Amino acid sequence: MTPAQSPQIALDMLVLAVLTHLGPSHGYGITNAIQELSREALRVDEGSLYPALHRMAEAGWISATWTITDNKRRARVYRITRTGAKHLSDERARWTSFSGGVARILRHA
Amino acid sequence: MSWFTRFTHTLRSRRLDDELREEFDDHLARRQEQFQSQGLPADEARRRARQAFGNTTALHERTRDTRVWLALAQTLDDIRYALRGLRRNAVFALTAIGSLTVAIAAITAVYAVTDAALFRPLPVPMPDRLVTLASTDVSIDDAARGGGQTFSYPMFEQLRAAAESSARLTLIDSPSRVEAQTAVPNAPYEEVIRQDVAPNFFQVVGVAPALGRLLTDSDDGARSSRPAVVLSYDYWARRFGQDQGVLGQGIILAGRTYFVVGVAREGFFGVEPGKFVDLWLPVTLGDPGILTNADYRPFHLIGRLAPRASALALAERLQPVYAQAQHDRAAAAGGVPEAIRSHIRDAKILVHGGANGVSAFRDTFSRPLWVLLAIASGLLLVACANVASLLLARATARAPEIALRVSLGAPRGRLMKHLLTESAVIAALASILGSALAYAAAPALVGLVSTRANPIRVHLALDWHLLGFTIGLCWLSTLFFGWLPAWQASGAAPMPALRRSKGQGGRLRLSRMFVGAQIAFAFCLVTAGSAFFFSLRNLATVPTGFDANGVTVLTISNGERQWNRQLAFVQRIQPTVAALPQIQGVSTAWTSLFSGAGRAQRVALPGQPLSVRQQTFYRVSPGHFATLHTPLLQGRDLLVSDNDDEPVATVVNVTFAAQLFGSDDVLGREFVRDDGVRHRVVGLSADSHYADLRGGPEGIAYMPMKPPRAFTMYVRSTLPPAVVAGIVDREGRALEPSARVSNVTTLETLVTETMLQERLLAGLGSVVAVLGLGLASVGLFGLLSYIVVRRTKEFGIRAALGAGRGSLHGLVLKELAGLVGGGLALGILSGLAAVHLARALLFDLAPQDPRIIGTALGVFALATLAAAGLPAVRAGAIDPVVALRDE
Repeated sequence: MTPAQSPQIALDMLVLAVLTHLGPSHGYGITNAIQELSREALRVDEGSLYPALHRMAEAGWISATWTITDNKRRARVYRITRTGAKHLSDERARWTSFSGGVARILRHA
Repeated sequence: MSWFTRFTHTLRSRRLDDELREEFDDHLARRQEQFQSQGLPADEARRRARQAFGNTTALHERTRDTRVWLALAQTLDDIRYALRGLRRNAVFALTAIGSLTVAIAAITAVYAVTDAALFRPLPVPMPDRLVTLASTDVSIDDAARGGGQTFSYPMFEQLRAAAESSARLTLIDSPSRVEAQTAVPNAPYEEVIRQDVAPNFFQVVGVAPALGRLLTDSDDGARSSRPAVVLSYDYWARRFGQDQGVLGQGIILAGRTYFVVGVAREGFFGVEPGKFVDLWLPVTLGDPGILTNADYRPFHLIGRLAPRASALALAERLQPVYAQAQHDRAAAAGGVPEAIRSHIRDAKILVHGGANGVSAFRDTFSRPLWVLLAIASGLLLVACANVASLLLARATARAPEIALRVSLGAPRGRLMKHLLTESAVIAALASILGSALAYAAAPALVGLVSTRANPIRVHLALDWHLLGFTIGLCWLSTLFFGWLPAWQASGAAPMPALRRSKGQGGRLRLSRMFVGAQIAFAFCLVTAGSAFFFSLRNLATVPTGFDANGVTVLTISNGERQWNRQLAFVQRIQPTVAALPQIQGVSTAWTSLFSGAGRAQRVALPGQPLSVRQQTFYRVSPGHFATLHTPLLQGRDLLVSDNDDEPVATVVNVTFAAQLFGSDDVLGREFVRDDGVRHRVVGLSADSHYADLRGGPEGIAYMPMKPPRAFTMYVRSTLPPAVVAGIVDREGRALEPSARVSNVTTLETLVTETMLQERLLAGLGSVVAVLGLGLASVGLFGLLSYIVVRRTKEFGIRAALGAGRGSLHGLVLKELAGLVGGGLALGILSGLAAVHLARALLFDLAPQDPRIIGTALGVFALATLAAAGLPAVRAGAIDPVVALRDE
């Protein structure tokens, strides 16, 4: 099993992490959160985010509901599911081992 | 369950689209607010928000694709597009769907009848364990009539005992149409189909009762007090309205009362496809002589194999018993030639699979049905080629659009799928309409082959067989006519199409090929139709030996049992009716011509061995030859005083005289029948046909009348048959109150009904040939018109340079020749091959008879010239100024 290399898998992991950290939020909120929490290091554009969000909803890792938010607007709010939380911990373990391996090699370079 | 949600999203995509749009709008609004809070004006904020968002439409589609079942969504889109395209091009749609519908209806109807008659196994448990018995002991005459499958009752009993544990055998007589009456006062007579069977018939075949009980071994007449009869479910529903009280009801057949003991289960019609039996009776209740007479062999034997037995093992077990019986029979046959005797001795018993039942219908009609199936397939091929060329024209019109798709990156497979969907929609619509049409047409087809003497009923069921067949046909035809145009259109280089240039040589080549194919198939059909037409004409013009015009044939029966009182009745009614005005002649006979019933026996000169072939013996009254207008060449007619005292006074016909005596000089000479009775020739009549028009005239010996309970009367009169029947009925009843007239028909009808197979093939063959030719002509017309349009400029130049109309017409005809030439050559070859294959069905017609091809060519030339007419006229009428102006 390849480690979390492709941006798509990393994106899944990031979204799930943000949802765990922030709680349920809509797409716009997730974008901003990723930008802020990574201190501007990572920026996700809508072209990647929304397909990923919907794909993950199909896979069952997040669930979406239409809710009335503040300022009386209807927004599609995503929350992490139990399956998603499990998937996140698996991916986190994989990512940790991957980045640990990369860091070790770079130390010797 | 994500595939399920994907499925629903595909079907309800509008809701998904609305939700996505709302989600994106919300996102944009929030981003816009953020920019506004940073101090930008509203519209600038909105612009920046949109810019940051990116391509909304692409994102919308990409996101949507993750939520739907892509393949299904694409297919639905293709189908919607195809339906829209068909609606917009109504003429194209109607032509394509119409021609396919007709072809599919034809082939499905023929297949439905073929399946019901030939393929479908009997509706009994484990039909593959059923077997039928046959033997190789077949006389020359029997073989022609498909014999070798019947046995006598004593033989049945011996074989049944010999089979022991490896099979259970039972016996059936052929179903026949008889008159029955329920045992209530003043009940009307009705016609039913009756079948005599051995008492264990239902157990062996495996049929359960729907009411009461079925026949058992105790119904053999010896032990039972009341003769039993079993009704079929269909008859019970039709006649008695499913009345539960029918048990114990009396039914009178041939003067004897039988009592209903039960009703067979629904869906069981007997073991002969094509015949729907109404009543089953035990054969053992009939004439006791049948049960002991080893020479009376009308019965079919069927059986059910034991679980582990095989047909081969059964045949081996039965062979010794059968061989012994045959040996005894050969030894007992006194004057029969040795060749025949050894044939009888060496006969073997055969065991065939009986899952499809016993069927005379199948034997007679299996080959014509296969031929009809082949013809209908030919029509389907013509229709497919026609639709293919129509699709080609459509592809040309859509070329710029398809080129655009190719340039946008559509893979070839996707384009093929898109184009083939249109073909699939056309084929699907045609299949549905064609099936509906076939549902109406198939009973009509069965009606065509059903005659009074031999009513055929076939249980046409809309079962999985038929459905699978139609769906398979739909897919095959789609691939056949859709593939090539789709391949060609999707492979075209986009640039020339986008530039709208006229470089379309490929399309023209393909069109020519399709039209050529249509021409070939259509010509093949026309050749077949022409062959069957000539075959029918040959059969219809065979001289029958009598004048069939204006002769009414009817059956008279009465309650009289004694034959000499019956004879007295005959001898009185004949002159009584003959004396009436407008009656030109009356005669009676023991059965009717062309009824299928006959009596054939071997004859010999005194002191000589018996002849190999059998001759027909026909009991007729005096006046037979005068009534039927068969000339009496020498000697005298039979007289009222002639009877069975030996030597029996007999009139023979020319063929009989030639076969037995070898000359025409036969008056006064004697001959002997194989049962020893002596005959003396008192007259010589001209030849006439007795049972079949196809062979030469049979050899017939006319003997004095000895009427059975129901005998035939021929009445020559100018009056219509119904009136004649009324007259005879009245006179008969005046002489004998129980007299009744039935089975009224004309001699002409009887003769025509013997030509059933030829009429069927000729009729349907010509209809299909006309349809095929029509389709091919339409295709030809379309292509020629297109070519003329394409060459408009050229024709305009020629006209401007002085070419007359005639030479322009000639150019069009040259195009026509080019189009038709190749296809015609192929068509002639395949037509000849097809006629050669079907030669067994042609009467008195060699496959290479030039009239067949000649007529086909003639009809074909007319059709193609008609198709070329309008384009040629248009070509001649091209105004050079208009043509050249169109730069």
